[in-house]
Amino acid sequence: MEVTSYKTDMEFFVDMQRCIGCKACEMACAECETNGHESMIHVNYVERAVTIQTTVQVCMHCDDPVCAKVCPADAISKDDFGVVHTANTARCIGCSNCVMACPFGVPIKEEKYDMMMKCNMCYDRTSAGKKPMCATVCPSQALFYGTREEISRMRPNSTPVNTFIFGQQEVTTKVNIMMPKGSTHLKIH
Amino acid sequence: MAKLPVSPEKLITRFGPHLNFAPQEGYPGRDEPDATVKTHCCFCGMQCGIQLLVKNNKVVGFEPWMEFPFNQGRLCPKGVQRYLQDNHPDRLLHPIERVEGEGFKPVSWDHALGRTTTEIKRIQAAYGKNAFAVLSGVSLTNEKSYLMGKFARVAIKTANLDYNGRLCMVSAGAGNKKAFGMDRSSNNYADLEHAEVIIVTGANVSETFPTLTHWLWRARDNGAKLIVIDPRVIPLARTADLHLPVKPGTDSALYGAMLKYLADHDMLDHDFINNHTTGFEDTLAAVQDYTLEWAETVTGIEKEKIRQAAELWGRAKTSFLLHARGIEHHSKGVENVLGCINLVLATGRIGRPYCGYGTITGRGNGQGGREHGHKCDQLPGNRDISNPEHRKYIADVWGIPEPELPQKGLTAWELIEAIHRGEVKGLLSICFNPLVSLPNNNYVREALEKLEFYVCIDFFLSETARHADLVLAGSLHEEEDGTVTTAEGRVVRIRKAVSPPGNARTDTSIILDLAARLGEANKFSYENSEAIFNELRIASKGGSADYYGITYKKVEDNMGVFWPCPSEDHPGTPRLWEDKKFATPDGKAHFNPVKFREPSEVTDSEYPIVLTTGRVVSQYLSGTQTRRIGKLVGLMPEPLLEIHPELAQRYNIRQRETVRVSTRRGTGDFAANIVETIRKDTVFIPYHWPGRKSANQLTIGTLDPVSKIPEFKVCACRLEPLGVFTQPGETNAFDSI
Amino acid sequence: MRFSLNKKAAFIAIVVTLVCVVISFYGSRKLQNFDPALIAYLFGTLFAVFGVIYRYCVWLQRPPTRMYFRRTWQLIFTGRFFVHVYTLLIDSIKNLLFQRFIYPRGKKRWLAHFMLAIGCLAAFAITIPLTLGWINFTLDPVTALDPGAIKLYNANFFGFKVMSFELGSVLAFLIFHALTWCSWLVIAGAVIFLVRRLTNAGLIASQTFEGDLLPLILLIFIAVTGLGLNFSYAFMKGIAYDFMSVTHAISVILFLVWIPFGKFFHIIQRPAQIGAHIYKQEGKKKGMAVCPHTGKEFTTQLHVDDLKIVTKQLGFDFTLEDGTSHLDYSPEGKRSLLAKAHLKARQEGGTFFG
Repeated sequence: MEVTSYKTDMEFFVDMQRCIGCKACEMACAECETNGHESMIHVNYVERAVTIQTTVQVCMHCDDPVCAKVCPADAISKDDFGVVHTANTARCIGCSNCVMACPFGVPIKEEKYDMMMKCNMCYDRTSAGKKPMCATVCPSQALFYGTREEISRMRPNSTPVNTFIFGQQEVTTKVNIMMPKGSTHLKIH
Repeated sequence: MAKLPVSPEKLITRFGPHLNFAPQEGYPGRDEPDATVKTHCCFCGMQCGIQLLVKNNKVVGFEPWMEFPFNQGRLCPKGVQRYLQDNHPDRLLHPIERVEGEGFKPVSWDHALGRTTTEIKRIQAAYGKNAFAVLSGVSLTNEKSYLMGKFARVAIKTANLDYNGRLCMVSAGAGNKKAFGMDRSSNNYADLEHAEVIIVTGANVSETFPTLTHWLWRARDNGAKLIVIDPRVIPLARTADLHLPVKPGTDSALYGAMLKYLADHDMLDHDFINNHTTGFEDTLAAVQDYTLEWAETVTGIEKEKIRQAAELWGRAKTSFLLHARGIEHHSKGVENVLGCINLVLATGRIGRPYCGYGTITGRGNGQGGREHGHKCDQLPGNRDISNPEHRKYIADVWGIPEPELPQKGLTAWELIEAIHRGEVKGLLSICFNPLVSLPNNNYVREALEKLEFYVCIDFFLSETARHADLVLAGSLHEEEDGTVTTAEGRVVRIRKAVSPPGNARTDTSIILDLAARLGEANKFSYENSEAIFNELRIASKGGSADYYGITYKKVEDNMGVFWPCPSEDHPGTPRLWEDKKFATPDGKAHFNPVKFREPSEVTDSEYPIVLTTGRVVSQYLSGTQTRRIGKLVGLMPEPLLEIHPELAQRYNIRQRETVRVSTRRGTGDFAANIVETIRKDTVFIPYHWPGRKSANQLTIGTLDPVSKIPEFKVCACRLEPLGVFTQPGETNAFDSI
Repeated sequence: MRFSLNKKAAFIAIVVTLVCVVISFYGSRKLQNFDPALIAYLFGTLFAVFGVIYRYCVWLQRPPTRMYFRRTWQLIFTGRFFVHVYTLLIDSIKNLLFQRFIYPRGKKRWLAHFMLAIGCLAAFAITIPLTLGWINFTLDPVTALDPGAIKLYNANFFGFKVMSFELGSVLAFLIFHALTWCSWLVIAGAVIFLVRRLTNAGLIASQTFEGDLLPLILLIFIAVTGLGLNFSYAFMKGIAYDFMSVTHAISVILFLVWIPFGKFFHIIQRPAQIGAHIYKQEGKKKGMAVCPHTGKEFTTQLHVDDLKIVTKQLGFDFTLEDGTSHLDYSPEGKRSLLAKAHLKARQEGGTFFG
């Protein structure tokens, strides 16, 4: 972690309407060296009985991560690049506070390990200047990892948004969601 | 004696399918591989570039190959997991021989190949040359496909050679030959990028060719309108500008009505039609009665939607039409394809940038395999086996007198029927699992049981291979050098990453050895795969699929070369027909009149519901490979019966209730998935599973009269809820018997 | 982050440390049983006691921790107390003593951790009471004076004799060399971990030197110098004994002082896992929360309710306009809501792409 070639101009852009639910990301996520063949990304049907819509969710890496705040064991930390890391295995007590408090539904309680695990933006890859596995393989590019210039060139009619409104709470994140041009936020409720 | 030697349960215990998972922290050596091999995925026709990580002669992982132009690192779940077919516990490590009551016992290569030779000779002496048949497959490289074709005709000397491409894109191939004189996707997929309107019909792109999605989405980023024609709201259709939920088996009616609308509203390219095509008048005459109202009654699509689709298509300046098995797996598959081509030709949007058309080939080497190898009516270079000139050319390349070159043989399904009739007594198969992939598989099983001798080359003991007298342990995709031709017509390089484990051998060496034992050693001596390819280049020279100018080096340097490529200084042809010179004898593109006709089996009071079949993203074809990879199986452990809530209510079927689906051919029990994303008169079952979970127990073996493709996509069924409920994943279908 | 003294925690820590001093003073029979050679260790230990208690108290003041701490004791003392204590005990043996939760993550990993943990815990159990003078060993006065008798050794706790054993017996060998056994366990475990950390790409990417590697190196150093002391004494006629004893003392004291701040604090934190188990079990009895989107149970209602309080204490407010909360939704529900909101925004925007 001392020696790192993390590219700070690269960002994560998500557009779940492009998602085709193929789960290539889920398979690829498990290939990330940091999570021991467990997949940390979520792909789920939104409401299968009425629509084929799927959604894909990576950790949004909040500026003020609720998961870290609600952790009773100080097991979750955010680094200088803004990456919110998975639970420190020594500290995590498997209480699931983060799982239930995360407004994006990201952390996973691995019952068999009695421990939480979550996306750390493929730290083994991003810290070496590579793209995360999920965004690399994503065949629909619902997950895109690259520079702002690249995304604005490729999708000029969309705006990356990183402010989310959950009732009274506004959450800002490192990861962006692609919205109609000119959007400033996404209001969930 | 192709009955199972012991119970299938015993065979499964020994030979699988078993599920392979990577170790918890990955295979050792992944961080410091001995080699990182740039090759391609072994699955579908996209042939995505991928890098395999090799340690100690084992594939231990993968790394995306960012530079390969088609997929730039992108992969589908099958591609990500493909490396797990290596290191697999089910892998056959030596030849095995059937022992009644015991199963299979290992034998020496000498014994196995010796007995195979003896049996071939015996059967041919007793019943004639054609009584021994060969079934091949297009997951094989161009080199192996070519070799199989030559082997069957020159070494075994049988006319009866066909392949699993018969279940793939033969309808498209036949249609393309009729219309264009050449069987290849007219454009590469980069031409999608700025197409104004894209029609995707009968192609569940996001599940069967996931990496193609990127190109469609790129087009839509650039403003393209997407029209999806499919009985289900497939993932592509959800956000499409138009979704036409066509009733299975009525596609040609829709295309006919659209063509009439284009003509009625003068949205035709008259210059193109007049100067570069023939047959337009007859074609238009054939659809004169196909009004939107008529089309609505036949296809079940609201006429307004059909009108909108025709308007969009008619007014576009650039466009791309893609189709796949959804319209091809029909007793009128070729007509459906021609219906599509008529729409393309009528608007003249072909042979220009961002004006494209093509079938999306499903099998890994569906394109190259069918051009050079093992199709019963075809010779290398996409030559016609009944054309005397073509025969002469190939006979010369192969060093045999032309009369000795067998004539056209039986197609895959017809071969099964011939076995039933007792005309074919012996079979050699490679890369084909007809017990899962052919329709009406109870009938197929009976055929296998009638064979006097069946030898199979495979790396796993597939459901079909269980019936073999001898199984020759062959090689995986990553164990031999070669080339494949992608669905775009791009010839790409498959690189050997590892050697076959144990006593297994490369497919090529097995075939060459057999050929030598059959007395044809001098015609089957190649130093390596490249030597086979170099002979293929000569064999294809001057044919419509001309590979002469393609060399291994050129493929490697350019990350693929598009055929036709007639000379070494030729850059290849990513986009066909730019000169408007079509490959037909008259140089023009041909319209073909298409009259709508019903599918071979229509619903009635006894079987009142339409059954259609298809695929899921996590499985490939008959599943011989993908039903052995744990995480892929986990994504969809069993085939589900997709059914609309209104239809479910009519039969009082509840979510996840087991439903017995019956057709005139068989019955199968499937858990219901009640979803609004399917037509109300149609149910859907994916087909990758064997035994009791096989959708192909139900499908019908009616063939298209031209392409001889079976009608997988439509038949009539009835439903009966059984009152039994299972949990997802509770019933394992991957090893069903 | 600027350090600011947490007065409440400091007060408690000082009190506990003083109590410890008092107990030690009287426990060693007014320093009569105290081994002056251990004076440096004593101060190290007392500092560690202060540090650990201080840190623990600061930790407990954090809203989520306080909530769990309070709930755990509330739940233990409501209902059938002894049943709770029994399950607590069983759970502690499984998870604290045998660290069973590590096993599914890897057998080797568990073995390494188990050896390391048992080695450390046993060493603590021996050295801390020794250092504080709570335990001492004396030659049994009766047998000592009788030349014919087999010499008996007494182990005393707070000056009270708790057991005695024969000099030269197997038991004596085991007891006197207890720290040797601990050292070997620690070395074995720490070396396995160290090798893992130096070879596993995932760990290499995410570990830090001071957080992950240094603790292992320090433990190995302590164990090796400890063994060195013994070795020097037994086989080398005391050569380099002084050097060993100084380096050992320094490394041990560093270790002690570091406990509250570094990776070793997890030893103190780990029992909270047992609390989390009770919280979940008892919460289940009170009823599960059902996600309004998926219609499925996803956690205990107690958990959801407590999280609403805790998040508010932390400055988050997920209350919705209708008075319900975003936290009423399951993780899957939350993801689906986001996707639906995004779909709506895209639909209103008129285009999905571009």
